[in-house]
Amino acid sequence: MSEDPRGDRRKWHERLQVTLWTLIVPPTVWAAHFLFSYLWAAISCAKQGDFARFPTLFVAGTVLALAAIALSGWIAHRQVRMPGSPPPHQDGTDIDRLRFLAKATLLLAGLSFVGVLFTALPVVFIGDCR
Amino acid sequence: MRKSIAAPSVTLASVTVATLVLAGCNGHQSALAPFGLEARSTLWLTAVLAAGGSVIALGMAAIYFVAARAPEGKLTHQSGMRLVLWLGAVVPTVVLTALLVWALPAMRPLPTGDSDLHIRVEGEQFWWRVAYARSDDKGLNGRTEPLLLSANEVRLPVGRTVVFELTATDVIHSFWIPGLAGKMDMIPGRTNRLVVKAEKPGTYRGVCAEFCGLSHALMAFDVIAMEPAAFDAWLTAARIPPRRTQDRGAALFAREGCGSCHALAGTSAQARIGPDLTRFGERLTLGAGILEPTDGHTAAFIRDPHRFKPGARMPAYTHLTQEEALALARWLKQTKAENAR
Amino acid sequence: MSLHDQDDPALRAAQEQRLREVWAPPKGLFLRWTDTNNNQVGNWYVLTAFAFMLFAGVLALIMRTQLAVPDNDLVGPGTFNQLFTLHGSVMMFLFAVPMFEAVSIILLPQLLGARDLPFPRLSAFGYWSFLIGGVFVSGSIFFDAAPDGGWFMYPPLTTRTDLSGLGADIWMLGLSFIEVSSVAAAVELIVGVLQCRPPGMRLNLMPLYAWYILVVAVMILFAFPPLIAGDVLFEMERLLDWPFFDASRGGDPLLWQHLFWIFGHPEVYIVFLPSIALFAMLVPTFARRHLLGYPWIVLAAVGTAFLSFGLWVHHMFATGLPKISLGFFSAASEAVAIPTAVQIFVFIVTLWAGRVVWSTPLLYATGSLAIFVIGGLTGVMVALAPFDWQAHDTYFVVAHLHYVLIGGTLMPLFAGLYYYWPLVTGKKLSDRLGRTAFWLIFVGANLCFFPMHLSGLEGMPRRVFTYPADLGLGGLNMASTIGSFVIAAGIAVIVLDLCRSPWRQMAPRNPWQAGTLEWLAHPQDENWGIRSIPLIESRYPIWDQEDFVRKVDEGRYFLPDAEEGRRETIITSVLDARPVSVIRLGAPSWKPMLTALALGGVFILTTYHLYWLALVSGVATLAMVLWWLWTGTAEIPEKPSKPIGHGMELPLYISGGASPGWWAMFITMMADATAFSGLLFGYFFFWTRHADFPPPDMAAAPGIFWPMIALMLALAGWVATVAAREIHARGGIGAGRLLLLFGLATSLAGVPAGLAGPWLSGMDPATHSYPAIVWTLAIWTCLHAAVAAIMQAYVLARSLAGRMTPHHDADIRNVTVYMHFFALTAACAYATIGLFPEVA
Repeated sequence: MSEDPRGDRRKWHERLQVTLWTLIVPPTVWAAHFLFSYLWAAISCAKQGDFARFPTLFVAGTVLALAAIALSGWIAHRQVRMPGSPPPHQDGTDIDRLRFLAKATLLLAGLSFVGVLFTALPVVFIGDCR
Repeated sequence: MRKSIAAPSVTLASVTVATLVLAGCNGHQSALAPFGLEARSTLWLTAVLAAGGSVIALGMAAIYFVAARAPEGKLTHQSGMRLVLWLGAVVPTVVLTALLVWALPAMRPLPTGDSDLHIRVEGEQFWWRVAYARSDDKGLNGRTEPLLLSANEVRLPVGRTVVFELTATDVIHSFWIPGLAGKMDMIPGRTNRLVVKAEKPGTYRGVCAEFCGLSHALMAFDVIAMEPAAFDAWLTAARIPPRRTQDRGAALFAREGCGSCHALAGTSAQARIGPDLTRFGERLTLGAGILEPTDGHTAAFIRDPHRFKPGARMPAYTHLTQEEALALARWLKQTKAENAR
Repeated sequence: MSLHDQDDPALRAAQEQRLREVWAPPKGLFLRWTDTNNNQVGNWYVLTAFAFMLFAGVLALIMRTQLAVPDNDLVGPGTFNQLFTLHGSVMMFLFAVPMFEAVSIILLPQLLGARDLPFPRLSAFGYWSFLIGGVFVSGSIFFDAAPDGGWFMYPPLTTRTDLSGLGADIWMLGLSFIEVSSVAAAVELIVGVLQCRPPGMRLNLMPLYAWYILVVAVMILFAFPPLIAGDVLFEMERLLDWPFFDASRGGDPLLWQHLFWIFGHPEVYIVFLPSIALFAMLVPTFARRHLLGYPWIVLAAVGTAFLSFGLWVHHMFATGLPKISLGFFSAASEAVAIPTAVQIFVFIVTLWAGRVVWSTPLLYATGSLAIFVIGGLTGVMVALAPFDWQAHDTYFVVAHLHYVLIGGTLMPLFAGLYYYWPLVTGKKLSDRLGRTAFWLIFVGANLCFFPMHLSGLEGMPRRVFTYPADLGLGGLNMASTIGSFVIAAGIAVIVLDLCRSPWRQMAPRNPWQAGTLEWLAHPQDENWGIRSIPLIESRYPIWDQEDFVRKVDEGRYFLPDAEEGRRETIITSVLDARPVSVIRLGAPSWKPMLTALALGGVFILTTYHLYWLALVSGVATLAMVLWWLWTGTAEIPEKPSKPIGHGMELPLYISGGASPGWWAMFITMMADATAFSGLLFGYFFFWTRHADFPPPDMAAAPGIFWPMIALMLALAGWVATVAAREIHARGGIGAGRLLLLFGLATSLAGVPAGLAGPWLSGMDPATHSYPAIVWTLAIWTCLHAAVAAIMQAYVLARSLAGRMTPHHDADIRNVTVYMHFFALTAACAYATIGLFPEVA
């Protein structure tokens, strides 16, 4: 995108390089949070037999994951709104490719956000190691 | 070709009706005929899920029907995307969240107390080793003797919480009494707990639900849910070793070395390799839930267990005559007359 | 060459003649099997996978006949156990996954306007591996030696040699071999999608099939390696008695279940998504409009791929894990329903917005959606643990999974068969027979599998060879059996339809009037794939781009010629498909087949404990691979660049991050690293299982010293290789060679140093899971050090032979990728075995 003449006047989140790698940021955060939750519960239960009623570590990890997903979703949301022809973004132009990737990232951010919330539900509703 | 759109739901409906007609109604080994607390609440969950699922399936068929018949351009790009957002993403998310909020708390096991009855069941190829104990007598950790040893049969009191301690010695098995509760695997090196509460007295059946080898299909057991008082009386009586005659059966039992695998309480036979035979006469089935326990079946099983149960570890006693085997069978059943069930 | 040069028919005829010669398949009874072109290899692949499907279907019919009535004795338990084990294994490993790879090998180059995939010989290698391994595994049933432990192969039943025979080894080694070929196909497909797209086909214009294939191939990279790691541990236990799964010696049977299902659940989506991808191609065709919600499909594919890795424990709900852990997986299993629902609604609104043209493929798609929705809904049910505790391991689950796989894999494949048959053969299949078959399969599937929901809840466990009459399940089972034969009748009608195809009329080109690139294919197909590689400006170029077909056919786009007599295709950039280079593709060769034979020998000979012969076969494999690489890769072209038309001049040699070889290495190493993480998971899994891990009496082994020495050597070799790459690129050939030599020495020294820790501290791997897993990690890392040494020696030899120069340095760049991963592996392995005991 660096060859875009409007490059310098765009806001920072619009200047970000959007690639296949940024597309998978939200679900990767979900995956990391999921792995973290699983390991946290498995190790707490196997090594201590229990975890605290208010598990600070887990809550912190969850808030962090939600924040990261929300941020990438917000950036994607702004990029979807960048000026250009109306949807469907199916022209062979830089801006349409960008907006397509941003749209897909935004949707993935939504799914990942729900996914992280779902992962937090068992901690709320089960709450012990039995 | 138009009719093909509606056809799936029609076919499905008729298949459903047909299967309901075909369905047998067994009441002793079915998650649809619960006698325990957990199985009952799971059946309720099942009914709601099945009804909700049917509604969703029929609704989708209806939407598909409408979609396939709609003229071109009936749906604009924008309203199409709104449909995907709402019906594809938002509604499922809400429904699934509701299901999780319902089902996750239901995963919590029943609360247990110090005086609960514990029943330890070990899966073996292809039978069940059973031991009864109070949780506070530490019997299950092997430090002291359990209250009672048994095999291939589980009795439990109605209305009381019972804790099953489940493990296995050779391969993985799974302990499943469909009418009582969901299943729990029996895994070598691990002891899993399954907390249950029976609600209705009766005679039921449990099976092995994890593939465990040749005779996996032939590994079941009887479950007898009893009124609490009757259960207590049974347990007290069952702990007294039955008196046995010293006849030909006893001699055969000794001569053939049955005691090197099987235990008979009150005798010198105390081995734990095969099923405990102390209360054999009282059992409702033979060979872990597969045969009626007639003398003839018992004799035939002793002479050639692999005919009934391929892969069983018990050796064949084909050198016994039919008459000897019958004598041994009759002798083994001597518990029955002495203790009323 | 300008646009108007192509106006000359004589020029076009000459070009076509050259292309025809270059792409001509080898002829002759034997020679024809050396072909590597995607059309031939793809067809063999599809036919073989289809044959395996029919075979596994027959096994199922025998099972259903046995279960038709209670207490039946048609087959005994020994045979029955082999039947269901092979039915599941063959359907999964020899039909569903290979079929998707096969279809993709045929379709992908057409969809992408490429002449072939980037590594045609790798496809051929994958095919031959698949054939050898598949015949080995399925043939075993004719010798009563088939695996009989279930397709999930749970230890200890399968690892105890007194309880299971040769069948377990046949399963484990035969299918490991096929897993290797699946990973090879994944590499091929990922690079194909990312780098072989036609100019202008940016990511937002890619056919959705390509998106799905990209996603699925990446899933294979992360899903299959944990199973390979599990296979390694499994065979170590069976052949060497290392107790990974033996609870009496510190092992745990559940470790296998984790590794198996980390593979096993994504596997379901690996076979489901490609079939849905076929829908994404045919729904727009029969709705006569663009697919609505393209980014939503990408969301669904990518989202499903990620979530599918968070589901594996739902196969272990009854293993007694803490309920909180089960809760995480229950939640993720529910979440995966969301992207699936999105996909289905995208198809529905596309049909809604468009003008539906009914056809046999769309009929199959409709029917499979109906069946799949039911399977999906029962999937939502079993994802809830309390319900699953009842349904788990019963016929309810049999019903669920068959609804999912018939609706989500088998029938979509038939939809694809009826849709794409004209593309492959030029002839349409019969609508009448197709519809008959559809109704037989649809009704049969419901009749067979719907009753199983009930028989499961009424207490019928899975994998039983019989059931007692007093359960009252005779009626339900008889209905299922009748249903299974109705399905079989439907499949027979399809086979009949296929057999009659050769005598039918040719169909017109693009008989469905589809808009996507693959329909450029000509009925009298030329082997070259596509006449000229087009410039893409739309998702549906045949519909949207003016005069598109004519321009392609007249060679008015790119690369219309094969002047140098080489098979070629264009490499483009990942995001925007800007032309990057022209690569030369492999020509027909014996090497793929011979390499597959040699590698197959390693696995098959090991099964029969012929270790020396297996070693010989292993050395032969290595020699074959090196010969293949030496003669067929990183070839320095006769000129630096060539014109591809329209005034564009593309290089003929690229190295580093833009080249397919680099990506292939990177992708392969991702798979390798994933397998390694499976082993590492084993170590920490044992740690959570034991209060004291390492056990106190072994806590001093393997010590810190030797693992750290080995780590230093590995890192030194890595730094040396990276430095050699940099200096070499700047013209320092001599210094580069010296650095490589140094790296080679450190890699070689790393082998004994890595083994010294466990060896010198006297760890006996047969005594406990701790020494066993430490040895495994050490051996894994040392094998990688040995491979590093071979690679460094290879690069050195290439340099000395003049096949690698500062401008043509693909070899060292690719090897550096390996070294990055090797350094990472060594760091994780040696830090774990050396340092973790200090902090545990």
